Amino acid sequence: MSMNDTTGSALINHWQRGVPVYRHAVVTPGFIFFAALAALGLALAAARFFSPLGPFSGMNDAYAWGIWKTFNVMTLTALGSGPLAVGIAAWVFNRRKLHVVMRTALVSGFLFYSTGLLALGFDVGRPWNFYSALMPWRWNSESAMLEISICMPLYCAVFLAFENLPLVLERFYYTGGDATQWILRTISPFLRRIYPYVIVGAYVLPLMHQSSLGGLLLLAGDKINPLWQTPFLPLLYLLAAGLCGLGFVTFLLLICGFRYSRPLDLGVLGELGNLLSCACFLFLAVRAGDLIWRGQVHAAFAFDTMSVVFLFETGLILVPAFALRSKAVRETPRRLLNMATLAGLGGMFYRFVPTTIAYKPAHRAIYFPSLPEVLMAIGYISLGIVAFILAVNYFAVLPGDVEDWNQMSKLVRWRIPAPKSEAVKPERKTSWPASLSTP
Amino acid sequence: MSGISLHPTGGHPISRRQALLGMIGLGGTITHAIVAPALVEEHPAHPVAALDAVSMLYDNTICTGCKACMPACNEANGLPPDTLQTGGLWDMPADLNSKTKNIIKLYQEPEGPGFAYVKRQCMHCLDPACVTGCPFGSLQKSDWGAVTWNSSLCIGCRYCEVACPFDVPKFEWDHFDPKIVKCEFCYDRLHNHEQPACTAVCPTGAVIFGKRTDLLAQAKDRIAASPDKYFENRVYGEHEAGGTQVLYLSNVSFQKIGLPKLGNTSLGHYATKVTSVIYKWLSGPILMAGILGVVIKRNWNRHEAESAAHEKETGLHSQL
Amino acid sequence: MLKELIFDSISLSVETSSANVVENAMAETVMAETIEQRLERCGVSRRAFIQFCSSLMIAAPFGLAITDKKTPEEVAAGLGKVARLPVIWLHFQDCTGCSETLLNSSHPDLADLILNVISLEYHETLMAGSGLQAQQALSQAVEKYSGKYICVVEGSIPTKDKGVYMKMAGRPAMEVLADVGGKAGAIVAIGSCASWGGIPSADPDPTGAVGVADLLPQQTIVNLPGCPPNPYTLLGVLLQYADSSTLPELDDQRRPKFAFDRDIHEHCPRRAHFDAGHFVKQFGDEGHREGWCLYEMGCKGPETHAGCSTRHFNEIPDVWPIGIGAPCIGCTEKSIAFRVPMFQVIQIHSLAAPPTTYAGINAPQGIVSPLATGLVGIAVGALAGAGFVASRKFSTQRSDDSIPGSPPPIATGTPDPGPSEGPDDGPKASA
Repeated sequence: MSMNDTTGSALINHWQRGVPVYRHAVVTPGFIFFAALAALGLALAAARFFSPLGPFSGMNDAYAWGIWKTFNVMTLTALGSGPLAVGIAAWVFNRRKLHVVMRTALVSGFLFYSTGLLALGFDVGRPWNFYSALMPWRWNSESAMLEISICMPLYCAVFLAFENLPLVLERFYYTGGDATQWILRTISPFLRRIYPYVIVGAYVLPLMHQSSLGGLLLLAGDKINPLWQTPFLPLLYLLAAGLCGLGFVTFLLLICGFRYSRPLDLGVLGELGNLLSCACFLFLAVRAGDLIWRGQVHAAFAFDTMSVVFLFETGLILVPAFALRSKAVRETPRRLLNMATLAGLGGMFYRFVPTTIAYKPAHRAIYFPSLPEVLMAIGYISLGIVAFILAVNYFAVLPGDVEDWNQMSKLVRWRIPAPKSEAVKPERKTSWPASLSTP
Repeated sequence: MSGISLHPTGGHPISRRQALLGMIGLGGTITHAIVAPALVEEHPAHPVAALDAVSMLYDNTICTGCKACMPACNEANGLPPDTLQTGGLWDMPADLNSKTKNIIKLYQEPEGPGFAYVKRQCMHCLDPACVTGCPFGSLQKSDWGAVTWNSSLCIGCRYCEVACPFDVPKFEWDHFDPKIVKCEFCYDRLHNHEQPACTAVCPTGAVIFGKRTDLLAQAKDRIAASPDKYFENRVYGEHEAGGTQVLYLSNVSFQKIGLPKLGNTSLGHYATKVTSVIYKWLSGPILMAGILGVVIKRNWNRHEAESAAHEKETGLHSQL
Repeated sequence: MLKELIFDSISLSVETSSANVVENAMAETVMAETIEQRLERCGVSRRAFIQFCSSLMIAAPFGLAITDKKTPEEVAAGLGKVARLPVIWLHFQDCTGCSETLLNSSHPDLADLILNVISLEYHETLMAGSGLQAQQALSQAVEKYSGKYICVVEGSIPTKDKGVYMKMAGRPAMEVLADVGGKAGAIVAIGSCASWGGIPSADPDPTGAVGVADLLPQQTIVNLPGCPPNPYTLLGVLLQYADSSTLPELDDQRRPKFAFDRDIHEHCPRRAHFDAGHFVKQFGDEGHREGWCLYEMGCKGPETHAGCSTRHFNEIPDVWPIGIGAPCIGCTEKSIAFRVPMFQVIQIHSLAAPPTTYAGINAPQGIVSPLATGLVGIAVGALAGAGFVASRKFSTQRSDDSIPGSPPPIATGTPDPGPSEGPDDGPKASA
C-alpha cells in the first residue's frame, strides 16, 4: 500500500490515517500503576478541597506558587502546545504531512491542558469567587493572571474540545446504531463548516495565554534573576511552548510506536524534527539577542549557580537545534527521540526555572514541594496518562496505515462501510473494546 | 519534500478579496503599533501621587524599638497575637505574616555594636504591582491612596505575593477561608478621621502620619538639617518602584534593613508596556485572527477539496 | 481613739424605747453632718485627710467621678462637702477579712479617717452592742435611712436546706438579705464571697453558698471581688454614692470598671521579667530572690482582673502577693479562685505585649520535606532510567521505519554507519 505521494493528504510510508490501538490489552500492569497514582492524587485533591492549603503543600509566603502553578500549568501546558505548534505548521504553513499526527497532538494537548486546569482549580485559595470570571466589569484588563484565567479554560473547554470532537464522534458513528449515525451525518456538515473558524480561535487563544504565562513574570521584576527577567518574557515563553509542543509530539509518537508496536514514518517525524530545529533556533536567537541587548552576556558565563543553570538549559536546546539540521539525525529513530527529548526538557526547564530556581524573594526563604503536593502533581499527570491510554485504545488517534485500519475494522467490528468494490453488508457491531487475542 | 517553504498559500493565487483583507490586517497592525503607544498611558513609568495621598514617615533614628505599634495594629485590626514561637506566651512573629500586618525588625551589625530598627508594613505604592496583577480587582488603590483588599473579589491566586517587590501580602495558609493579610492604612480609622493605630500610638513620633507632600517635605527638611545623618541623604520611597506612600529615613543602608534596591519605574509600567498596546480593545488578537483566518480558510478549502477527492478514490472517510 | 469614734457613731443607735425621740433627733443631727465637719469634730488633721484623698486617687486613677482629673486638694474640697453616708454592714458566711482590710491601715490617722468619712450604722464586729440591742439598732437604722443607706454585704449566703447554715438572730441569711438589702439605696457586695460565693462555694460546697447578685439580681449591686479587695475600692464607691448618689461604671459582672477593667498581668511590676523569659522555677531559687516572674509557679495574674499590681495593700509599696514573692491566686475570679489549684500554670489568652527579642531582618522561611525530596528524586531517576532503556530500543539505522523494539527488516543495502547516541548500538542490523 506504500506509494510515493508528494502531494495531497495521502502520505508516504506508514502513516496514512489515525487507527485505534486494538492489538493490545487496555488494562495492563502499567495502566493499573498509573491509574493507582491518579486515584491517589485525586483522593488527595478531594481532601484538599475540604482543607486549608497549608497542610497539603509546602508553599509559603515567600514562594507563594508551588509546583501546581509552575509545573502542572506553566510547564506541562507548554508540552501541551502540540495542537498550537503542529496546527499552525499544518494549517498556516501548509505542512500537509502533519495532518495525520494532528490527532495525537490534539489529544495529548487537551489532556495536558485539562489536567493542568484541574491542578489550578485545586491550587487557588478562594475558588468560590471565581464566578467573577463571568462578569467582565470586574476584570482587571492589565492583569496577565486575568488573561490566563479566562483564556485557558475557554480554549480548553471550547476550542480544544471542539478540535477533539471529530475523533470522538467518529467512534460513535462506527459503533452506534442507525439513529446515532443519522444524527451524526446530519450535524457533520455543520461541524465541518465551522471547523476552520474554530481553529483560528484555537491558535489565537494559545498565542495569547502562552505568552501571558510569561507575562505573569514581568511583574515579579527583580525577584527573577536578570538572566531570565526580560521584557521579552512573553515572546520567549511562547516560543518555548512551540518548541516543547513539537518536541513532545515527536517524542510521544516515537514512544507510542514502541509501546503499541506500530511502524514509524520517518517522513513525518523528520518533518517534525525539522520544524523543531527551526523552533529551537528561533528561540535561541531571541534569547541571545535579548541577553546582548540587555548586556547580560557576562552573567551567562559567570559560572555561578544561575549561570550554570542557564547554560544547562540553553545547552538542552542548542544541541537538538544543531543536531536536527542533519537529515541523518532526523531520520534515525533513536537520535530523533533523544534530540526531541532534550529539546522538550530544555523548553520545560526554561518555563520552570524563572518561577522557582531563578526566583529570589526579598527575604531568605527556601521551598520544596511537600509530599501531598508532589503526589497530587504526579496524580494529575497520571490521570492524563490514563486518559491518553484510554483515548488511543478507543479512538482513532495514533497514526497507522490503511492496512492496519482495515485489519482493525475486521477485528474490532467498527461498522465501516466496505470499499466501493465490495457489495458487502456491514456487520452489526458487537462488543467493544478490542478482543484480547493477539494475532 | 524539499526544505522549508514558508509560503502560506503554498504557491496558490489568492483572490482580490483575500488580498484586501490581508492587507487591512497587516496595515492595521503596523499603524496600531506606531500610533497606540502615543494614545493612552495607563501606567506612566513615574506615577504622580494624588493630592490627598496620605503617608507614613518612619525615621529609624527616632525609633526606640518599643514595638507599641505592633499590639496597637493587632488590636485595631482584630488580629490575634502570633505566639507560635513562644509556646503561647507572647506575640513574637518572625516576619509579617497572616497575623501580623506591621512588624518591628532589628538589624544588628555583624561585627560591632551598631544596630538599627525598621518598621515594615505595606508600602502603599503609588502604582502598586499587586493592584496591576490582581485578576478581578480585589486589591485596589482606594481613598487617599491606601491599598485595600476586598474579600468578595479575591480568588486566592496569590499573584499579589509574587508581584509585590516588598513581599508584603501574606496568605492565610492555615485557614479554610484564606485572606490576604496586609496593612490597609487602618482604612476604617481613616474614614473616621483618625490616624492609623501605629502612628497614633508611637510614643516617640518615629512613625508619623500626614499627607505625602507634607511628609516628604518634612523628611527633606530633616535631611537638610542634619546632612550625612541619613543614608545617602535621601528618602526611601520617594521614587522606588515609581514611588510609595510609606517613606523611610534611615541612618544605615536601606538594603541592610531589608528594603530592597529598586529602580524608579513602576513595575506595572514595565509589565504592561507591550501588552497594553497589543491588547488595546483586543485589537492585537483580532488582527491576528483576521490574518490567520484568511490564510487558514484558504488552506482549509484546498484541504477539503483534496480530502473529498481522496475519499472518492479510496472509499475511506477523511479524518479531521 | 478609734474605739471612741466607733462608739460615737454606732452607740447612738443603741437605745431603749424611752429615749427614742431624743436619740432620733440627735441621730438626724449627726446624719446631716458633712465629712469635713465630722473630721474637724474628731480632730483628724487636714493633712491626714489629704493623704487619704491621695490614696483614693491612687486607687482610682480614672473612672471614678470624684477623683477624675483632680488634684488631691480638689478631691478633699469636694469630699469635704459630702454628707456622711449611712452604711449598714452585714456579715454572712465570712471571715471578716474584708472588714479587716478596711481597718488594716499603716497609718493610725488614716484608720480613724476611714470610719469617719462614712457613717457605719451597723457592723457586728465593730459595734459595741450585742444581742437584742444590736438587732434593734439594725432595724432602726434600716427604717430611718430606708432607701438611702448602702448595704455592704460581707460573706456568702447559704441557700441549701432553706439557708439554715447561717442565721442571724434566728433568721436565715437569705431572709435578712432580702429584708435589709431590699430597702437599701444600693448594695455593695464586698469580697469574693459576697460577689460570687468565695471560699464557702468551693467544692464540695455543702451549704450551697452564693453571692448577693445570685439572690437579688434585680437590685442595684456593686461587686467588689477579692480576698480581700482593696479598701480604697470600697471607699471610692461609697464616697461617690455619697457625693452624687451615682455609682461608677460597672462591667458585665457588676464590678466597677475603674478597679477591675484590667488584669494583673497588664500592670505587673514583674512584667519585664515575663517578657524577658525570667521565670522562677522553685520557691527560694536565685530567680525568686531576684524578683523574677512567677508565671511558672502558677501565677494567675494574666487571667485575673484586679488592681492589686498598681495599688498594693496597707499603703506600703510591694505589699501584695506577687510583691512578696507569692504567685497571684486569682482571688477575684469566680472561675479561678478556690477552683484552679494555686500552683497550676494557666494558659494566657489576652493579647500579649511584644517581648524583648526582635525579628531579624531576614527571617528564614520554608521547610524541605525529606520524604518529598526523596520521592521526587526517585521519580526523576525512574523516568530517566526508563527513558534511557526505552531509547535503547530504537533503531540507530537511518530511515528505519520498522516497529521500534523489533529487529529491523532485512537490510537491502548497507546501513548508514553514523555514530550512535547510546553507549552501545541498538539491535544489530542483520546482514
